[in-house]
Amino acid sequence: MKLQNPEVIDALAAEYVIGTLRGPARRRFDRYRAREWHIGRRVIAWEDRLIPLAYTLPPVTPSPEVWRAIERRVRAESPPARQLAARRPLRALAAVVAICAVLAGGFLLWRAGFAPGFEPIATIAAGDARPIWQIELDADFTRLRAVSIGAAPEQPGRSFELWALPDDGAPVSLGLLPVSGRLERSLDADQARALRAAPRVAVSLEPVGGSPTGAPTGPVLFVAERRLPG
Amino acid sequence: MPPDDGHCFVPVSAPLQTADEAELERLIAACARRDARALRQLYDLTAAHLLACVLRILRRRALAEETLQDVFVSVWQRAAQYEPRRGRPRAWLFSIARNRAIDALRRERINDDVDVHAESLPDPASDVAAESMMSGRLAAGLARCLELLTADQRRGIQLAFIDGLSHAEIANVTGEALGTVKSWIRRGLLSLRQCLER
Repeated sequence: MKLQNPEVIDALAAEYVIGTLRGPARRRFDRYRAREWHIGRRVIAWEDRLIPLAYTLPPVTPSPEVWRAIERRVRAESPPARQLAARRPLRALAAVVAICAVLAGGFLLWRAGFAPGFEPIATIAAGDARPIWQIELDADFTRLRAVSIGAAPEQPGRSFELWALPDDGAPVSLGLLPVSGRLERSLDADQARALRAAPRVAVSLEPVGGSPTGAPTGPVLFVAERRLPG
Repeated sequence: MPPDDGHCFVPVSAPLQTADEAELERLIAACARRDARALRQLYDLTAAHLLACVLRILRRRALAEETLQDVFVSVWQRAAQYEPRRGRPRAWLFSIARNRAIDALRRERINDDVDVHAESLPDPASDVAAESMMSGRLAAGLARCLELLTADQRRGIQLAFIDGLSHAEIANVTGEALGTVKSWIRRGLLSLRQCLER
């Protein structure tokens, strides 16, 4: 089955969100939602419409055991949290020292401009070839970093947004670009997939905070080729 | 044990209503940096509301609390994927909770083929939407648009969305034909979207 009719997709998205889409149809739609960005966007739109209704229910205080169980599970999978929460002062001190060491190390690496694992994948340049941003990616497409390497055009009260530009299909947002310094962020599976498939990236001018719709709303200022890392 | 049937709406301003979305966003970002205290604060602000939502769907306290655990562990794991650009931390949390609850329902084999026990079904007369509209707790736009629906459409959407009932269960509770129920919901959703987009 290929979902194409926008009215059908929207009706399915609505029934997915209210929960009447069930069984195999729900699982199938879940896969579409994760894979197809325009379907995911419709699900989000329905969540935004209806979820305010869910938080008008009178609150129900959970029993204390719920938090204890969450804490146990979260600690089991994140050792640093366990160290921080250590009761004994010596262990806490050791944790603080370790964190300081990591921070200092991180700072030195940053100062040296050396970031293990990141490779440049695109250079975004102005019309006169003056570079403005370098886009970098780690080898497994999970972290993206945008580095400001030249002055961006003056656009007070606006944000620059980066997009993966596939040959066919809608652009997928990769987040905002910094006016100075660098911004690093995680990519979700949809973004990583879009970036792998996109031969180009683009920068659009958006309201502060980025496009409110999930698609570019302002003019596309720059387009750059996307190279593969490595 | 069946949860509160929605009749006793207390006009209190609960923590989640007053919690700034920006504050929730800040806490989610801190969770992404593995700050366990932020998770605790997020829990304090939202757990009672998320439990209300999950309990209403699952109707069993133990199962609902187990699901609530999964919700917060999932928030912890997925915090780094949260996109602040979309500016919808509350909706993000609720959608995780609702999807977890619906998954739990599925695991409990309560689906279209297996009806839940009739005595644990919600009172079809309880109209959460109408009551929350009157209590002024709902955003004006959504309240106005819900008001434009027929009572049946509103009840159908609410029994599905708030109470987690399937089409067949809604038909059961209301004594209407399955096709009628499906059409209430379909038309209700369509009107709602058209009204909200206006």
